[in-house]
Amino acid sequence: MSGGIVLNWLASTPDFAVPYALAALGLIISERAGVLSLGAEGLMLVGALAGIGAQIAMGQPAVSLVLAMLAASAVSLLFAVMVIWLRVNQVIAGLALVFFCQGLTALVGSLAEWTNHATGGIGAMALWPLSLLPGAGRLFEQNAMVWLTLPIFLAVAWFLSRTSAGLRLRAVGENPQAADAAGIRVTVWRLAAVLAGSALVGLAGAYISVVSTKLWIAGMTGGRGWIAVGLVIFARWSPWKALVGALLFGCIEALIPQLAAAGVQLPQYFVMMTPYAVTLGVMVWVALSRRGADEEPGALGQPYVREERR
Amino acid sequence: MVDATLAAIAQPAQTDPDAALRARRQPLARRRYALEIRQHMGWRRQALILAAALLAGLAISAAILVAAGVPADELANEFVMQTFFDGQNFRAVLFQAAPMILVGLAGSLAFRARFWNLGLEGQMIWGAIGATAVSMWQIGPEPLRLPLMFAAAIGCGLLWVLGPAWLKIRLGVNEIISTLMLNYMAANFLLHLVYGSWKDPKDNFPYSPQFRIFERLPELGAGVSSAIVLAAVVALFAWWLVGVSRAGLYLRFVDANPRVAHANGVPVRRTIYGAVLLSGAMAGLAGLAVASGQEGRLTQAFYQGYGFSGILIAFLARNNPLAATVVALLVAALFVTGRSLQVFYQVPFSMVQLIQAIIVVCVASSDFFIRHRLRRVGGEAVQ
Repeated sequence: MSGGIVLNWLASTPDFAVPYALAALGLIISERAGVLSLGAEGLMLVGALAGIGAQIAMGQPAVSLVLAMLAASAVSLLFAVMVIWLRVNQVIAGLALVFFCQGLTALVGSLAEWTNHATGGIGAMALWPLSLLPGAGRLFEQNAMVWLTLPIFLAVAWFLSRTSAGLRLRAVGENPQAADAAGIRVTVWRLAAVLAGSALVGLAGAYISVVSTKLWIAGMTGGRGWIAVGLVIFARWSPWKALVGALLFGCIEALIPQLAAAGVQLPQYFVMMTPYAVTLGVMVWVALSRRGADEEPGALGQPYVREERR
Repeated sequence: MVDATLAAIAQPAQTDPDAALRARRQPLARRRYALEIRQHMGWRRQALILAAALLAGLAISAAILVAAGVPADELANEFVMQTFFDGQNFRAVLFQAAPMILVGLAGSLAFRARFWNLGLEGQMIWGAIGATAVSMWQIGPEPLRLPLMFAAAIGCGLLWVLGPAWLKIRLGVNEIISTLMLNYMAANFLLHLVYGSWKDPKDNFPYSPQFRIFERLPELGAGVSSAIVLAAVVALFAWWLVGVSRAGLYLRFVDANPRVAHANGVPVRRTIYGAVLLSGAMAGLAGLAVASGQEGRLTQAFYQGYGFSGILIAFLARNNPLAATVVALLVAALFVTGRSLQVFYQVPFSMVQLIQAIIVVCVASSDFFIRHRLRRVGGEAVQ
């Protein structure tokens, strides 16, 4: 019987892991270009709200997810203008973006009456030969977004490490002065990175509302955006490590309902603390091991002021 | 002669690429303005730019409120007349301002030490829990109860920020994430208490039993709570600390450049610890101000919005304690207005958060015009 619980647990892990994975990947893109994107929590909310709005209006999950990405990108334009052109402190701009999005999504969500409005999600998609495996086959019946997450990771990792465009993006985050001298347009690359990264963060939010819970509640991301910010530090700005970290977090979150279903008595609110406690623990562990400290993009969080170039 | 030749040899190498660049960047007479760093701007013009930014923020917010269904003429009436010129509402603003001032001061003190204390809500929760514990377990004789609640609130708030402070200073753990994670943990612990063993046995609602009268911050008469006096005293203390005391001088050194401060013999670590722990203590007091001054018990969501407001107040006040007090009063007025808009026009309370964020965006962006200027370069630069 315990084998059943383990299988259930593993089978439900990807559903919890995908939002972390996509949000962390989006943050990696932006931070590799040197823009510290603390607004993830807010952008996830925008994605979640836009996704559910489109889902209620049209009922096409694919369209909803794309619209959510566009909405998050559009809102992040505000952040991009602040940090790239107006050179506002990136921490302040990121925090302001979170407050802005929290207020905006709660306002729009309640005015449009999308709160607690249940919608149809997307069904499971069995990965054909593997899903026929006896017992473990259930692991390979996930929704399409779970399967799509892998190629997205492949594409971004390949882009960042194997293409000349990815090299430019990283150069802008590493040493904008040198990149500028080499003829790379710093502002354009940073803008592109923020918009593309935000689209993925928005997709992560929309996954929560459209695919996972299938409804909208104000503030429903509940700190997952901040956990993703921590995850990026844990992953040392590497997509694959971020994926591993996301799976780890997914495992922990997926374990909670499984234990409850198995009748294990746990103090509910202490259990709800675990993702945050684990994030904190992971941050401490990263600091203690000090591994790859030099992998942080050199100009992360610093505005590029061309007029001050020396 | 030789000098001139040397200069002629040396110059082209330096100027030519520049000129070529300029010619390419300014193809037509379109780029007639260049951006440059402004060295200094008089305080009058700075104030003017700040006022313009505030006005722009308020105008955008007003437009959103009107779009959300509040009649435009009612808006001015509601915010200006009702809030500031109506005795009862003004008392409500003062009532609301006490915890606001405390979290604003808490934010500005930590930010002065370059520590992003985003855990104000968590420290506030712990302050309120500490104060409530003293009340629940009836620690100490009745006349000493309130001072003991103060001590507990300060102690708990301080301890809740000690962890992230230590992690940041010793291990370099990012305090933004650690303090935020601790907020969520504190909030869950609060729920554990008010839904669990601290639930009021009288009506089984998720809040603690009511405080007794000697556990409440006393009223000063005319409906004004002494919480505002507490906030004012803490504000004066913060002003003295930051502006007059030696510790304040150290803080300014650390804020300017920790490394240089260290080289000049400033005890950098002790200064940062001091500022951050005091910040936690003040946030703990804010928790007490809500629990004992407003609600009279520990409730499940009393802290919501204060952390953000504290950060924004500190930012708008540029970490100046006296300015933070004034900004906190305005934010309190916004809260009170928000509540009445919520009642009369069904505008969700999150609107208050949205307005705060819009104002911060406007003010933060206006800094650009203080720090830069557009200089006319004229057509003759392009040859």
